[in-house]
Amino acid sequence: MKPEDIEREFREKVCSKLSLVPEGLDRFRVFTPFMFEDGDHLCIILKKSRDRWTLSDEGHTYMHLTYDLDEKDLQRGTRQKIIANTLAIFNVEDRDGELLLSVEDNSYGDALYTFIQGLLKIADVSYLSRERVRSTFLEDFRALVSEAVPPERRTFDWHDRQYDPQGIYTVDCRINGIARPLFVYALQNDDRTRDATIATLQFERWGLPFHLMGIFEDQETINRRVLARFSDVCEKQFSSLKINEDRIVRYIQEAIRS
Amino acid sequence: MSARYSDIEIARLIVEQKPLPLDYLSRLQTRSKRGHKERELSVTGVNGSEFRIILRRSILNPFDFSAILAYLPPRSTQSFRLRRYNGRSHEHTNTLERVTFYDFHIHMATERYQDIGAREDAYAEPTDRFFAYSKAVECLLGDCNFTLLGTPQLKFFEVEQLTLF
Repeated sequence: MKPEDIEREFREKVCSKLSLVPEGLDRFRVFTPFMFEDGDHLCIILKKSRDRWTLSDEGHTYMHLTYDLDEKDLQRGTRQKIIANTLAIFNVEDRDGELLLSVEDNSYGDALYTFIQGLLKIADVSYLSRERVRSTFLEDFRALVSEAVPPERRTFDWHDRQYDPQGIYTVDCRINGIARPLFVYALQNDDRTRDATIATLQFERWGLPFHLMGIFEDQETINRRVLARFSDVCEKQFSSLKINEDRIVRYIQEAIRS
Repeated sequence: MSARYSDIEIARLIVEQKPLPLDYLSRLQTRSKRGHKERELSVTGVNGSEFRIILRRSILNPFDFSAILAYLPPRSTQSFRLRRYNGRSHEHTNTLERVTFYDFHIHMATERYQDIGAREDAYAEPTDRFFAYSKAVECLLGDCNFTLLGTPQLKFFEVEQLTLF
């Protein structure tokens, strides 16, 4: 096939897939071949308001994203940044969830292409919500400790009834029956690590005797500052549960025997 | 890796009886978010499967809505959309069949679309069974074997009340 034939084929294909269908006064539905990942096409309306022609998605793009995502997730974190950048780059207005682009200087084609690019880029944030297998870390932690420590010598979700009757400062597992009980934390993320540091400092303030041990789900994912503060108060750490199960059991059993 | 289900498993999940709480209507009344209204209701099937009814409707276009039955696979953070009842607000293309239409339509989870790496409910069929949001919800509840707790059948006429804003 000659290049000019290919070009003609391209033009025919693209043009034939674009159409404008009237839907009431000064309002048209714009059909394009551009789709979300589920085969639904982008929702685009061309409408006139206050003598200006505007392209609108009538809130469909965000609504479509909320099939998988919490609406609040669109307004925070990486998704919010991608959306805010996209709106700025393509000059698209977000009017309370409705995405709009004004047609300037009768440049309908330019406006449509810009609007489509913006909508597709926003639709892409759905890929950030792809499957993440739910962590079994806490369940695995409990199973491991339950196996290594007899029931009468361990208390999960322990708190000091005298100083902290409401249970604000908790320990994931307290291993007792030794001169200084062993407090064990299962640490999944920055928040949990920060909470463990705060609780440990509080226990020290109350003058509780204890040894401290932290088991991370994946220590490499913890913020360096958060980890540094926790390291200051923690005697023994394991960087991950899975690859240290034997060592963890050995450490706990030695602590019990002591 | 997303959860994957065969056509037989999908069919089994759809026909599993799903008892709705007696106050299901009030719990399905949508609430305003940015640009649309939404509501979700979790339901446990008689075989212990976890499901969620997900409702979405546009504030600006009454024909833009979605009534979804999602299955929540154990040990997964992503729901699996078994059925989706969509309004007439956009075209849909079935990539494998190379068919495009603009109509009210029902998305269905299929094994063959999962096989090509598409979303599980990327296949859809046009329908004339509903022309409005409340009727779409009614079709979802009827097609997917929802029942009222303690009664064998749902009184579908009640679903009309869902049109109330």
